Amino acid sequence: MKEFQPIAARPAPIKTVGFTAWLRDNLFSTIPNAVVTLSVIALLAYYLPLIFDWAFWSANFTGTTEDACVKEGACWVFINAWSYQFFYGTYPVEEVWRINLTLVLLVMVIAASFTLPKSIRLKASITSWLLLPVVGIAILDGRLLGLEVVSTDLWGGFTLNVFMAAASIIVAFPFSFLWALGRRSEMPFIRSVSVIFIEFFRGVPVLSLFFMGSVMLPLFFAEGTNVDKLIRVWLVLIFFMSGYMAEVFRGGFQAVPSGQYEAADSIGLSYWQKILLIILPQVIKVSMPNILATFVMLFKNTTFLLIIGIPEVVQTLQTALSNSYWLGGHALEGYLFVFLVFWGSCFSMSVLARRIERQMNTDKRD
Amino acid sequence: MAKKALLTASILAATMTAGAVQAATLDDVKSRGTLTCGVSTGLAGFSQKDENGKWSGLDVDMCRAVAAAVLGDSEAVQYKPLTAKERFTALASGEIDMLSRNTTWTHTRDTSLGINFAGTNYYDGASFMVMKDLGVSSATQLDGANACIQAGTSTELAIADYFRENGMSYKAVTFDTSDQTRQGFESGRCDFLTSDGSQLAALRIGLANPGNAVILPEVISKEPLGPVVRQGDDQWFNIVKWSLNAMIEAEEQKVTSANASDMKANGNPANKRLLGSEGELGGNLGLSADWAYNIITQVGNYSESFERNVGMDSPLKLARGINASWRDGGILYAPAMR
Repeated sequence: MKEFQPIAARPAPIKTVGFTAWLRDNLFSTIPNAVVTLSVIALLAYYLPLIFDWAFWSANFTGTTEDACVKEGACWVFINAWSYQFFYGTYPVEEVWRINLTLVLLVMVIAASFTLPKSIRLKASITSWLLLPVVGIAILDGRLLGLEVVSTDLWGGFTLNVFMAAASIIVAFPFSFLWALGRRSEMPFIRSVSVIFIEFFRGVPVLSLFFMGSVMLPLFFAEGTNVDKLIRVWLVLIFFMSGYMAEVFRGGFQAVPSGQYEAADSIGLSYWQKILLIILPQVIKVSMPNILATFVMLFKNTTFLLIIGIPEVVQTLQTALSNSYWLGGHALEGYLFVFLVFWGSCFSMSVLARRIERQMNTDKRD
Repeated sequence: MAKKALLTASILAATMTAGAVQAATLDDVKSRGTLTCGVSTGLAGFSQKDENGKWSGLDVDMCRAVAAAVLGDSEAVQYKPLTAKERFTALASGEIDMLSRNTTWTHTRDTSLGINFAGTNYYDGASFMVMKDLGVSSATQLDGANACIQAGTSTELAIADYFRENGMSYKAVTFDTSDQTRQGFESGRCDFLTSDGSQLAALRIGLANPGNAVILPEVISKEPLGPVVRQGDDQWFNIVKWSLNAMIEAEEQKVTSANASDMKANGNPANKRLLGSEGELGGNLGLSADWAYNIITQVGNYSESFERNVGMDSPLKLARGINASWRDGGILYAPAMR
């Protein structure tokens, strides 16, 4: 008796697999597609060598002054020489560990809030998030910890963008939650106050808010009180952010089915028990993508601080470009650098965001 | 409408109270131990930061001079980089003790903003830059030319007036930033570039080949730049005014940072009065006798500051021109130091 031997599977026809088939399907499927493909290749072939030549082969990498830029291409010496300023501003070199420590704390808190064991995660991460701005400011300023005081006019560079964005969103988070609750409230006074606040800060461009904070606000303070410029701007960012986040949260509240509210009522939970134990966890889960998108937006908005002379990274770049020893036109290198730094951080944030979303997605796995 | 008027009135009232009170800036500065000085966020040669975050420039030297006179230490300055829009509010609200930020001394500003100009530390003015191969040696030969101008600057107005006055025409090509203006000029979009003289020098260095461009001799507008203080504190006004005058006077007397110690002991009576070994000049200002000595040894006289920041010892290589001392054909002139 012959045992049944299936014929080995035949490979797919040569026309449908492999590189040529992929090319045919994706790049040359129709005549217009083929034309577009060829012209894109032609453009790349023409420009890429020029760009690479400028950025790498005939670029200047070593040296500390502008005189070192002798070759035709990019002057990366400029970025190298100013890199400390671009990252840390004028923060004293011997104290810079404080900035690094704060950055490490920030990363640790982010990591902790989704790697800690589930039983303590919520309480531990909320506490550490709320403590972070206080601890961070104490470390950077130094007054409370008995370190050398570094006044805020010395803070600057890219780390200032990061800290301003992080500090505003952390403080804005609880506030925006309250504003969103207020807007859904049935008490007319609370509701109208919330609506006015949210609509004001959402309806006014952030640039004009910065101008108000830096130019108008000081005129209304009592004589002799000088609120630090950075604190004024921080307040503006918090208000702006909480207006936006309130709307994000409101969307989250609306997405929670009304059965959840009614179920909570029916087992006799109080208002705050209902909101905090039943509704809020679901709201945060639903709103997570939007919260992170808003954060990326705010982070990029911190570069607008340059119009009121806060030495964040773009302002530092412009200061560097106007130094009389660096007047040789390095704007392209500088802005390319800022572009890469921001793109790198925003891209890693969205990778992180996707990971958090996947982790929180407990009911609708696909 | 009524609400708008009310708002305007309250802002004005706030400005005025902020401007009117705030006496005794000198005491504030002394008790704080540092001078807070408003500077530009970055202007080549006038107020600029280097790679180590250290400020320098002609305007910055004005801050350092006042700090040296008042506190005896030219490094005891807290610099507040300000944008053009913020500068007067920052002064009115007391955020800064003085403003030294390439601010043009105009009648309107002096009389309506609650501020006082304490003098002029640089006489600037709109001027022209052309490529050498154009073969032009005077602005009067520019009839019918294309002009590269930065939009929204006072130069725009000055050049229109100048060309109308001389019966000439020009075609404006406006750009948004100074960097774009320079690139437009370099790529041949226009025949000449116009801006303030000190800016032209900075723009010229940025050209691929600075040797190809020349700055024409005509200066077509008045832009006297100087330090500013709040109205209502005459003692402080005097201190800033005479700190600047001391630098100018020191150049006239040929007192430099190098020879000041020697002159203080062995100079003529005028040197000794200036440097504080004779007379009451410091006491009258409410300062110590060696106020001007501190300025000159720590910051230098006007000529040293000028050459170091914008003159021949700097990349800008600006000529003294009208900013020379009156003894050398310029218009810098300090009132009598006695």
